[in-house]
Amino acid sequence: MAKETQTFTILARTPPYGSNRSSLLLDIALTSSIFEHNTNYVFMGDGVFQLLKGQDADQIKSKTLGKALKALSLYGIDNIFIQESSLEERSIAQEDLILEAKILNQNELKALIKGSDSVISL
Amino acid sequence: MSILHTINKTPSSKLLESCLEVASDEDSLLFLEDGIYYARTEFKSIGCASKLTCYALKEDLLARGVKLEASAEIEIVDYNGFVKLCEKSDKVINWF
Repeated sequence: MAKETQTFTILARTPPYGSNRSSLLLDIALTSSIFEHNTNYVFMGDGVFQLLKGQDADQIKSKTLGKALKALSLYGIDNIFIQESSLEERSIAQEDLILEAKILNQNELKALIKGSDSVISL
Repeated sequence: MSILHTINKTPSSKLLESCLEVASDEDSLLFLEDGIYYARTEFKSIGCASKLTCYALKEDLLARGVKLEASAEIEIVDYNGFVKLCEKSDKVINWF
């Protein structure tokens, strides 16, 4: 029997505008919240670029993903995480980010994945 | 004979390394789309290696929230500048 509340983890690994993966993941996350899953949203690798401040996608006739990500908390998705090494590799400081997130080291990230019922990585 | 090289993926693609293997000093290199992330920090560590003239596309920088001070190393161009670069080059190689 499946547990009533599933823990669902989303791994965002791509930059915001080069493909539609980043916005697809956001749609998946918002949908999962309707089913009252416990949703974790993890930014890792190039996915941390989704969180950079000062995005203005009007310039490339697109929707600004950074603004949309701020809606996560409105949908009850407050478990937002960032892989520590991804920030370091790209010299991104926490002040450069549009929202507050918990920073995870490698072991914490592994534990999060292990404790999840399903994981989607895009 | 000069070539315009364009790179449209992030530094994790390692495209710059491939490009530099075949580029000559008189060539130009334009970072666009996700390639503009090269214009942040990694770019400086690689030192844009060779003597290529480097450019980054303004619209893609603004869209992604990447601030870039104008520097000697890298020049910011808009779409019109992109067209001019294509015009003055003998050919274009897209790295993707």
